[in-house]
Amino acid sequence: MDPRLKYSTLLLGVGVILAFLPFDAAQTFRLKSGELLSKSAADNMYVSVDQVARFVNSEDSTVQIIDVRSAEQFKACNIPSSINIPFDDLQNPLWEATLNQKKVKNIFYGNGDQTASYVWTIATGLGYPNNFVMKGGLNEWFKTVMLSQYSGDKITATENALFENRLNARKAFTQINSLPDSLKTKFFNAKRLMQSKLDGGCN
Amino acid sequence: MVVLLILVVIRISDQGLFKKDVKTAIEATRNNSNLLSPAELRQLKEPWMVVNIGTSDIPDSLQVEHSIKISFENLLDQTDRKILEGVNGSLILYSANVATASKAWIILNQLGFKNVFILNTGGNPEELKYKFQPDTTARLEQDSI
Repeated sequence: MDPRLKYSTLLLGVGVILAFLPFDAAQTFRLKSGELLSKSAADNMYVSVDQVARFVNSEDSTVQIIDVRSAEQFKACNIPSSINIPFDDLQNPLWEATLNQKKVKNIFYGNGDQTASYVWTIATGLGYPNNFVMKGGLNEWFKTVMLSQYSGDKITATENALFENRLNARKAFTQINSLPDSLKTKFFNAKRLMQSKLDGGCN
Repeated sequence: MVVLLILVVIRISDQGLFKKDVKTAIEATRNNSNLLSPAELRQLKEPWMVVNIGTSDIPDSLQVEHSIKISFENLLDQTDRKILEGVNGSLILYSANVATASKAWIILNQLGFKNVFILNTGGNPEELKYKFQPDTTARLEQDSI
């Protein structure tokens, strides 16, 4: 084969690879802008606090609830069974295996909707599947799950189920978050260990 | 080499592709430095344009003099994108729904738009308004720890 032809083929191959590779594969959005915008504008990216309460009560293994607040805020109080991936630490490659998977849905929450929306957009832009935001964040959780009370004479079966769901989630939230710091740390470490075993990591 | 050059040019000029590292977005949002209050907006010395991407109008009380309305869904349509690119000075996003403005901000930041801010009208959107009261008698069962 003519060496000139060989080098040209090689260069062409490199060019094709360069043309289709993102600038930084791990840290640059893989979705096209129009695609990400249309996903962002859809309403199906939200789950309600009542849905999350149901996931907590049923210990649903098809979802992972992700607290995107700081470690300090997470330690102060968090939704039972949630894991902490602070927004500031999102780029840490350690989180990629947790977020970029097809097994479970990622449900992000912050105190309000802002930080969770940032994380949702970044995770979806990076091409991670199954991302959702708990609408209203922890403020909505407090308002609806922790503080809501039924005030009426008669309660329907649907309302009864709704309030029972909230009551059970409220109990779990209070129980976990009332633990002394030492026990809480022990509990979270045990959970992290369990998570790493499920992910196939080592101790 | 020419082919290689052409392919790289195609890649760079594709407006639908994101070119920034997510690190730039994370760093720019640190300490809410991408948020502007109405008072801060009025004190800006450089030119600015408020883009209302929400479904409701900008309240009169905010006294925003120059604004345009572009729906969030159409933000990157050819015509609207040209308008955004042609904004002289800072581009301020407004939506009554903070989630919409936040998503739009990340998308524009990652597309390489500079001086993009969110008009924040209601204090810190990430402030926890409730204080958890621990139940000091609560204990987990030993085997669940």
